[in-house]
Amino acid sequence: MDAATAPYMIRVKGHLGATMLCAFPTLAPNHHGAHTILTGLLDRSALYGVLAEIEALGLDLLEIRKLSQDPKSPGTR
Amino acid sequence: MTVISAPAGSGKTCLLRAWAGPSQARRFVLVQVERGQQDDQQFWLALLGAVRHATGSYRGAEPPAATPDFNAPAMVDRVLSELADADGGVTLAIDDLHELHSAEALAQLTRLLTSLPPQVHAILTTRHDVPLGLHRLRLAGDLAEIRATDLRFSERETRELLDASGIALSDSGVALLHQRTEGWAAGLRLAALSLVGHPEPERFVAEFSGSDRTVAEYLIAEMLERQPPHVQDLLLRTSLLDRVNGELADLLIGRQGSEQILLDLEDANALVESLDPARTWFRYHHLFADLLRLELRRTLPAEIPALHRRAAGWFSQHGQVAEAIRHTQAAGDWPEAARLLADNSFSLTLDGQAQTMRALVQAFPPGANHPELALVRAGGDLAQGRLDEAAAHLAVAKTYAETAPPERQRRLQVAAASLQLSLARRRGDLAGVIEQARFLASPVTGRSDEDIALGSDLRAMALMNLGTVEAWSLGVSDAERHLREGADLAQAIGRPYLEVGCLAQLAFAYVFHSADKPKAHAFAKTQRRCHEAIALAERYGWGAEPVIAPALMTLAGTMVLLGEFDEGEQWLWRTERALQTDTGPDVRLLVRQTAGMLQAGRGRHQKALEEFGAARRLASQLEGSQALASQVTGWLLATQARVGLAGEARALLTELDDEQAGSGEIRNARAVICLAEGNPAAAMAAVADVLDGTAPVLGYATVVETQLLAGLAHRAVGDQRAANEATERALALAESDRLVLPFAMTGAADLLEALPRHQTAHGALLTDILDVLHGSSPAGKEQSSFPPADELSPGELRVLRYLPTNLSRPEIARELSVSTNTVNTHLRKIYAKLQVRNRTSAVRRARELRLLAAPRTR
Repeated sequence: MDAATAPYMIRVKGHLGATMLCAFPTLAPNHHGAHTILTGLLDRSALYGVLAEIEALGLDLLEIRKLSQDPKSPGTR
Repeated sequence: MTVISAPAGSGKTCLLRAWAGPSQARRFVLVQVERGQQDDQQFWLALLGAVRHATGSYRGAEPPAATPDFNAPAMVDRVLSELADADGGVTLAIDDLHELHSAEALAQLTRLLTSLPPQVHAILTTRHDVPLGLHRLRLAGDLAEIRATDLRFSERETRELLDASGIALSDSGVALLHQRTEGWAAGLRLAALSLVGHPEPERFVAEFSGSDRTVAEYLIAEMLERQPPHVQDLLLRTSLLDRVNGELADLLIGRQGSEQILLDLEDANALVESLDPARTWFRYHHLFADLLRLELRRTLPAEIPALHRRAAGWFSQHGQVAEAIRHTQAAGDWPEAARLLADNSFSLTLDGQAQTMRALVQAFPPGANHPELALVRAGGDLAQGRLDEAAAHLAVAKTYAETAPPERQRRLQVAAASLQLSLARRRGDLAGVIEQARFLASPVTGRSDEDIALGSDLRAMALMNLGTVEAWSLGVSDAERHLREGADLAQAIGRPYLEVGCLAQLAFAYVFHSADKPKAHAFAKTQRRCHEAIALAERYGWGAEPVIAPALMTLAGTMVLLGEFDEGEQWLWRTERALQTDTGPDVRLLVRQTAGMLQAGRGRHQKALEEFGAARRLASQLEGSQALASQVTGWLLATQARVGLAGEARALLTELDDEQAGSGEIRNARAVICLAEGNPAAAMAAVADVLDGTAPVLGYATVVETQLLAGLAHRAVGDQRAANEATERALALAESDRLVLPFAMTGAADLLEALPRHQTAHGALLTDILDVLHGSSPAGKEQSSFPPADELSPGELRVLRYLPTNLSRPEIARELSVSTNTVNTHLRKIYAKLQVRNRTSAVRRARELRLLAAPRTR
């Protein structure tokens, strides 16, 4: 099992405002259409912590992806 | 069974509360799982309390209380039996099951849910699917599942919701709102809150619809904005509490009048709900609370630690230590949190909060070094029977205590000494106990009430540990004195757990007292003390907890000694059930030994051999208890010889040290081996020192055994007259207490039958013993099926129905709402009418007479 830190992108429905974003201090937000994309370096337990926050706040999780460690594309496409 | 599995804010709890409405004919049990619940005992106590409250049983009884050694399987049995007894249908609803973070609790819950009586309907709500083994229910079609799409509001339902709140909105407005919230219950409810009394509802919906922000964040911001500033302030600052009351809220916002605000918010249906009928405690809807907390973090980040500190102070003052520690941790005051935890670890353990403590220890940042926590960890290890780990943590704690600031030093040292004492007790290390118990000599002094209370707790606990080890190492009179003092002190300071613990060990200590020399009804007196201790334990719902195991086991043991094998077996079974969670070797040793006595008494020597073997392995893990070790070793060797393993027995015999080999118990075993080898003269020589009273013995039962072995040896060499005299001496010794087991174990039936009746002064006892020996041998005669002497009364029949269960007499009394005396009277009459002597044969007889449902095997 890979427990090392890796870049992740997490897409949720809606624009997260300043209040919601307080729940994800380690992730960088970007609005993408009507969605918000959160990116950042997470290890396994941090990732599950983020997922628990998403569940607790009743957010709609649309996509979650581990990004390649390629320095040219850190979290953006 | 119904499982409602849907995300936050889908309306699960609302649905539950609607179902729980007063118009329901069924009894409704609602259990709310607390946030982040990791303590399975707290979960089960809440569940049991809710069941009792809803079914109205146990009115006026002690509330179910926590113990340091919680027995989850027994708790599930208790809940099941209370549910089974409830009249009519019961709905058992468990809300927010996703908050239960205890694999053990979930496993036990699975057992509860798959064994529910038919009249009970269970409903679970959870945000995500929880790993419960429910496939069997699903396959049987007994499981209904309600998921997010089922809970979604339709457009028509959206309209009905708005109408009910008196909100006038156009059809297109309703459609827009429904589309924007996707029928999500929390969204609609929040929108309705803002729309009530809104001057321009259509514009509100249009703006909401035009925004890309998430539904919850948008609507909460709107709702907050519509509140006056002081209400906003209260909502934000109290959001960091899981539950709040007026006083606590006043403290956090620095202003009076919070209670009225909370009441108004609940009346306005504004995501605040009261937790008690008196409406003093409130909580926020979880999703709402989480968003408020984020808003607090965004707008007032600098104030958060201070708010947590104030909350911690309040909880600490109100004796809610765990909550106080949690807030101290949240404030980031780690050293203070460690100090609080160490100072309170003892009382938290006694309060049955070991699991909560473990969670609190785990909440400290990894890598941070708080030496005070070593003390807490040692306590946790001890509670779980990890004795070596406990010793390692204790060593760290003691080293730290030496260098601690003077004002902390004594407290830490006393706490460490207390744990060391518990450890020594668990290891049966008498020298260690006596050394550690020296702090008892210094009187309880302290500057504060808290210090004195802690001192009393420690003292009662130390007395229990000291007396226990004394009882085990047979310093009986000291044991009685210390345990009695401990029980009295525990009662005075309101620590029923320690009181029960002392009385249970006291009952055990009496066994040695009564076994010392023949006294009339000494074992009956011991049994009475056992019953008293058990009755007190049952008052607190601890009838199947490890703390009462010594009394249960003593009762089982004395019954086996008196030849009441069936009843003894039932008490032994209860003891084993009580010990499911305890892994220490001390009590288990005696349980295996008693099981061995029972098997040997019934003539099942092969099984007895297994039990004695297990008991001896446990004895080897104890540092003290030499006398007990010689008893179990003696019986092990004798049983080996009886099943044809005399060679093995001899080999073991040579390994024993001189002190053990010289004991009466081992000399008896040597005699059994010699008899098995066909050497009665050597057998006689082996027991000569016991007969003339020079060899040390554990109790007079050993001497009864010796006389019988001597009788067997005389018989083997053809000296019937000497055999009769030895048998008569055994009967004379056994007479006052009516001891039966030595006769059964040594196989003395032939000796008794050969004894001419006119030569014995103990004819009645002799007949009784022969009855037991014939009744209990595997080839024993089946009871004849003569009709009962008399018809049973309706009251007796009611009691009879409970006899096949595992309930004790007091438990049956409670089930039937009568006194234990009434049950005893009924039982006596049942036994007389059925012409039986004990519960097992009463059940068998009742089945034969079809007074009970026939067992399935027939």
